[in-house]
Amino acid sequence: MKNISFSLLIFCLSATFAQAACYADYKAKQDNPLRLHYGVTEVRGDCTVSAAEAQLRDGLARDGWQLLNVLGVFDDSGLEERRDSAGEFYLRY
Amino acid sequence: MVAGIAAIVVILGIAAVLLFINLPDANAFNIRVERLFVENDTLTGNAEIKLLEILAQSGTAFSDTLASYRFVIFVLLIFATALLIAAVAFLVMLIALNRRMGRIERQGIEVNSLLISRDQKSVYLNDFEFKLTDAALETLSVLAEARMDDEVLSGAEIEGVISGRDASDCDEAAGATRIKRLRDTLGNQLVSELLIKNIARKGYMLAIDKSVIRMV
Repeated sequence: MKNISFSLLIFCLSATFAQAACYADYKAKQDNPLRLHYGVTEVRGDCTVSAAEAQLRDGLARDGWQLLNVLGVFDDSGLEERRDSAGEFYLRY
Repeated sequence: MVAGIAAIVVILGIAAVLLFINLPDANAFNIRVERLFVENDTLTGNAEIKLLEILAQSGTAFSDTLASYRFVIFVLLIFATALLIAAVAFLVMLIALNRRMGRIERQGIEVNSLLISRDQKSVYLNDFEFKLTDAALETLSVLAEARMDDEVLSGAEIEGVISGRDASDCDEAAGATRIKRLRDTLGNQLVSELLIKNIARKGYMLAIDKSVIRMV
């Protein structure tokens, strides 16, 4: 019984992990003067590029940024290598 | 002529418009830089992005230079328009002048200036000087004054003005005689100056080009 509940816990944890560990990297710009940034964001909901785009666009627009494109989605394993590049925009939006 | 000038103005106007449309604005650089950024997935480093931004800014700075170029080119276009208009105007003037010259050559003599000199008792037609008698000079003066007032004088009126009497008391024939005398003295000298030259101690000669003489 204990064994079953443990495996269930593991299963549930891994399920929530799989849900949470979705990230996307994107490029955005501001006009006049032209400013560019590369950032990493956490995707809530479906782990797809289109979901990331929909979610990013509003968040970025609030600060006057315009989304250019989403490069791709990835999980925890890809997070660390992008930390330096994203800089101040690492998981900001 | 007006159509030609209008055509020039229209052509240069179109050129100016095309110039303003086709010259790239500052945004052209920004768009290129943005495309570069989007198309290259590896351009994600902080330093690289800063470099791209600097690139875009230098392009924007260059756009000020472009604006001044545009202005200079526009001024040059205006100069070109003015020059072309002047050229066309001069061309038309030249053609008109040529035609007039031809007409004058055929006409023989066209009086451009008539100067009556009472002291020297002579009249200058263009550059020719003709000696006149007192009476003929008086007649010519009266005619010249009447012409300046756009008046036509009858023989009696001419005689009246010269003799100082009322025109109704004067004879029409007296004025006609004065005119005849003026024509005789002036006409004689005119013909001798323009047509039949007297070469001193040698004789007489037609003062015309021999190629224009034809006999039928």
